[in-house]
Amino acid sequence: MSMLEFGFMQRALVACTAVCIVAPLVGAFVVQRRQSLIGDGMGHVAFAGVGVAFLAGFAPLWGAAGFAVLAAFALWKLQRSGMSGDLSLAMVFYGGIALGYLLMHRSGMGLNSVLVLLFGSPLNLDWDMVWPIVALAGTVCVIVLALYGPLVAAAFDESAARVSGVPTDKLALVLTIVVGLIVVGGMYALGLLLVAAMMVVPVAAASQLARSYRGTMALGAAIGGSSAIIGLTLAFYADLTPGASIVLTAIAWYLLAAAVRSVALRTTSDAHASA
Amino acid sequence: MSEHGPDDHAAAAARRAERAPPLRRPAGVGEPPVVAFEQVTFGYGRIPVLREVNLRIAPGEFVALIGPNGSGKTTLMKLGLGLLRPTYGTVRLFGVPVQRFSDWARIGYVPQRAGAESAVPVNVAEVVRSGLAGRLGLVRRPSRAQRAHIEHVLDLMGLGPLRKQAVSALSGGQQQRALIARALVTDPDLLVLDEPTSGVDADARGVLRESLEHLLRIHGVAVCYITHDPAGFSGLADRVLELRAGRLVECADPSVHHHEHELPANGRGLP
Ligand SMILES: Nc1ncnc2c1ncn2[C@@H]1O[C@H](COP(=O)(O)OP(=O)(O)OP(=O)(O)O)[C@@H](O)[C@H]1O
Ligand SMILES: [Mg+2]
Ligand SMILES: [Zn+2]
Repeated sequence: MSMLEFGFMQRALVACTAVCIVAPLVGAFVVQRRQSLIGDGMGHVAFAGVGVAFLAGFAPLWGAAGFAVLAAFALWKLQRSGMSGDLSLAMVFYGGIALGYLLMHRSGMGLNSVLVLLFGSPLNLDWDMVWPIVALAGTVCVIVLALYGPLVAAAFDESAARVSGVPTDKLALVLTIVVGLIVVGGMYALGLLLVAAMMVVPVAAASQLARSYRGTMALGAAIGGSSAIIGLTLAFYADLTPGASIVLTAIAWYLLAAAVRSVALRTTSDAHASA
Repeated sequence: MSEHGPDDHAAAAARRAERAPPLRRPAGVGEPPVVAFEQVTFGYGRIPVLREVNLRIAPGEFVALIGPNGSGKTTLMKLGLGLLRPTYGTVRLFGVPVQRFSDWARIGYVPQRAGAESAVPVNVAEVVRSGLAGRLGLVRRPSRAQRAHIEHVLDLMGLGPLRKQAVSALSGGQQQRALIARALVTDPDLLVLDEPTSGVDADARGVLRESLEHLLRIHGVAVCYITHDPAGFSGLADRVLELRAGRLVECADPSVHHHEHELPANGRGLP
């Protein structure tokens, strides 16, 4: 029986593919700015947001999204006040995970629900959950594409971009917010601990083969999306945990791309040697 | 020099006219300096770097800035471009205090040792086009004239055949040319070059020199050129300034600096 006949698989495919296509689009800028771990940190913050939502009794997704946006502003303020980038990240992120755990414990949320948040559970999504996830991914996609030119300029050379009139400061804030939103979007699909991997790994894989920024983003999105489909298929037929098999599929893409690149480099250098 | 058509320059002249409408200034009073430093003092933390520096660069003027490592050349230019704030004194761009300046398309900046290393692959055309991002803002795509000008600067820097190459696959000199092309893409009135020839071979220096001549003669760009290599500006510079112990010293005769290192400290003696 095909996996597509199961409603839960359809929902998992829609949610995971949407997130995994968009995450590398954001990731291309995060990787270029050498902030590969910021997605991981935003996961910590979203964790606190879920805790707040639980206590206050509103939807965890929106609680997490709101908290991620607040954290992005806090980081921005801290960095502008002169605290080093590194240290301000650590402050906000460890604060997030500590607060989150404290609040969840307080609200009597079970350990199982905590595990779902950390590692995801895409096979248990209702359509009511899938649409907000798709909407978040879509919003993030539109923002990134609209800001594409300035984002490339700032990621490539921040001070030259500033001198050419790009508002690099505000752009950094928007990028952090967008990272937070895509992390929240992937929270149920891939889990807070794994979603950040999909921002970074497909970009690393695409970078092995592409020669342009645009090409890297397109290939990264394709690798992300295909990792979601392949990973879920493997999870269905081999009874694996879905989030983990999606991320491992992306890592397999990376290894394959790196192998292809090294073979290509070797053949071109052989050609030069024999010429 | 280069074989680009007259159209490029007709477009450039039109842009210039549109950018600088006839000003309501009494006749005979010139345009404001492209950049003016007035009594600028600056230090990183408590370490003083620049002391009461005064400098005005006129439209179309070529100023060479020299001085030993750590003398504050890069710092001075960052102050000029608003990347740093002076402790005392003021900086104006085109007559406007730098913190209120907004017409950034009039300025091209090639940072020192920016290198073009990049975690994500990026090709030459993308790097050059990124210089327009501030001009275009959101979503807008380059106009036909802007695309023509992109072609012009790619040509000027000898990058036409390399446009689709990943920047990481270029030599240091080619990367530097890509960064200069990026700075030129808005057709600026002031070009700041911070050691554009460090680690660059004689050929690439030749390309840079020719393109500078073109920019000065045809486009009327003012240039601030920081370097340790006097050969790069000899015969081009209107003025040579030297930073020493935080102060700016004007060297009266630019040609003297051809052999700067063999000459006595006052720079005027004959060998
Ligand atoms: N970000 C910084 N923080 C603290 N001190 C700095 C910083 N940047 C530069 N300095 C110090 O300021 C002084 C001037 O530096 P600057 O880079 O302006 O010199 P420079 O003339 O451009 O030198 P070079 O020829 O090596 O490029 C140096 O003593 C340097 O150590
Ligand atoms: Mg310097
Ligand atoms: Zn020209």
